[in-house]
Amino acid sequence: MAYPFVSDREVRVVSTHFGDPLQRRIDTYVERGGYGALKKAFGMGPTDVVDVVKSSGLRGRGGAGFPTGLKWSFMPKEQTKPHYLLCNADESEPGTFKDRELIRWDPHQLIEGCLIGAFAIRASHIYIYCRGEFFEANQVLARAVEDAYAKGYAGKNIMGSGNDIDITVHQGAGAYICGEETGLMNSLEGKRGQPRVKPPFPAAVGAFGMPSTINNVETLCAVPHIVSNGGEWYRQWGSEKSPGTKLFCVSGHVRKPGNYELPLGFPLSELIEDVCGGMRDGNALKAVIPGGSSVPIINAEEVARCNLDYEGCVAVGTMLGCASVIVMDDTTNIVKQVRRMVDFYAHESCGQCTPCREGSAWTAQIMRRIEDGKGTAADLDTLMEMTQEMVGTTICVLSDSVAAPVQSAIEKFRPDFMALIEANEPAGVAYHG
Amino acid sequence: MSDVPFKNPGWAGNTGEFDLTEDQVRGDDFVGERPKHGGHASGAGTMPYMLAGKNPEGPLFEGEYQERFEKILTRYPTKRAALLPTLALAQEIRGHVSPESMDRVAELLDLSPAYVRGVSTFYTMYNKRPVGRYLVQVCTNISCNLCGADEVVEAFLNYTDTELGRTSEDGNFTTIEAECLAACGYPTCVQINSRYYENVTPAEVPKIIEHLKAKGGD
Repeated sequence: MAYPFVSDREVRVVSTHFGDPLQRRIDTYVERGGYGALKKAFGMGPTDVVDVVKSSGLRGRGGAGFPTGLKWSFMPKEQTKPHYLLCNADESEPGTFKDRELIRWDPHQLIEGCLIGAFAIRASHIYIYCRGEFFEANQVLARAVEDAYAKGYAGKNIMGSGNDIDITVHQGAGAYICGEETGLMNSLEGKRGQPRVKPPFPAAVGAFGMPSTINNVETLCAVPHIVSNGGEWYRQWGSEKSPGTKLFCVSGHVRKPGNYELPLGFPLSELIEDVCGGMRDGNALKAVIPGGSSVPIINAEEVARCNLDYEGCVAVGTMLGCASVIVMDDTTNIVKQVRRMVDFYAHESCGQCTPCREGSAWTAQIMRRIEDGKGTAADLDTLMEMTQEMVGTTICVLSDSVAAPVQSAIEKFRPDFMALIEANEPAGVAYHG
Repeated sequence: MSDVPFKNPGWAGNTGEFDLTEDQVRGDDFVGERPKHGGHASGAGTMPYMLAGKNPEGPLFEGEYQERFEKILTRYPTKRAALLPTLALAQEIRGHVSPESMDRVAELLDLSPAYVRGVSTFYTMYNKRPVGRYLVQVCTNISCNLCGADEVVEAFLNYTDTELGRTSEDGNFTTIEAECLAACGYPTCVQINSRYYENVTPAEVPKIIEHLKAKGGD
């Protein structure tokens, strides 16, 4: 079912039912084979479930790309205290809009994935931390969880298997940093969402001080399909190191923006030209951010040789991140857009590490000065030097995320900056957040 | 900018379809009206809405709201963990979280008032002061910005005759910029109270405003 656009290049695993409101209903979901994978998993036992996910090569879809099965295997094998499974549904990376769609179109797919994950890591409680702005997705999910309880797919003695797993939908309150795993845990505990120093890692000391595992929505949505069909089946798509399919969120200056599920390793140029119908208004491509605003920008030449998997993006000096492809045509004012991203990070910095708190605020001010036509060539050197000090010097990577767009933009689009500096004129209307 | 030819059966409707009721927009009665007491405890913490009808002096946590608060408490191993949902509950009733509400929440959860103040001010969704009947949050982050979000902000401010972050004279509209609302493929995305409006262009802003004015409450 098309939502909103469809391409025959797509391979739909987790997005099969996008656009079909009936899929939210538990009866329809079960009729279509839903909760079959959960039953199968209960029959296999936790260790075998972890092994099948390991064999599929599934990697975390939240941005870091860490192998999911391996992450699960870090959890203690014996349950001496409560274990928790946390689902990260705090989607807020600029350019990313896949998790909201997964939740509102197919909530039971996520619930089933969560239950299988919880069973594999011997967790008795699942917290789905859903972004606060997602009122609709939250309501759909809450209703679906309620239905799962009513039909015996959650709570005590699930499907007569003797397994007890509770699910709670937790609503966030508007903070980008709560998408960072330890920030999310603090937020869940009723604290400010400030990331924690690691180690200890969540598998040892996580939410409420107990062993915890945290997975992205899309990762957990893939799990039921892998358990049903096997690890080899999932490996028929993608590459050796990046197997499977991935939702690509395409936004910006393309004719058909939207979510497209494609095999990993798909060529970026074909995604833009073929799947998304090419550039809007026939303009030329100027730049692409392939993984959400936290990754380096690439130019048209790099786009042409970029394959969209974890390794392919690294090969052109960027990262796949959460596969949020932001496309910019040649009418784009790069300086303004980078300034807007830096403003975002300055707003969202949790403030506990000095390089990030001070660095993001000063970077934003200098960027604005350049945009307003009051910058100097020396400002560019200051930016490069200052953002270099923001990489690897903080508890989490929000600080690094400021450096990535600024450094890559100055390296690749220096003439855009210089034009503004030399013209001494503002770049256009801009608003303060 | 993009002419997306779809009917979105979510609450996030195309702007041309905002006269439809929420049920009609969804094309489905899946969620329907959720009860004030919060329904099943697993989702009780997700209930808070941003309502047009606000009662800044309204009683906190009484009757069905008390019931919902108690359900929330049952879902966490610590009382502190109920803080975020409880603050949201206070905001649903009163429209914003005042220092007085924070103190009340602190008392209920055995936390210090200063701690609750510190947490509430960390999160952007708690309005620390009263806002208009409709809180208009326009995403101006990169994907929407590329497609003209700045002009949409300007259109809202012009049409409601107010400034960024201030409430219009009739008390109806407060417009602010929002960070990415995760609807990047449907720019510009505008969140008005609990609902997303997607693919909003400046030309459609007057229609949205007039519709909300005519609608009054929620």
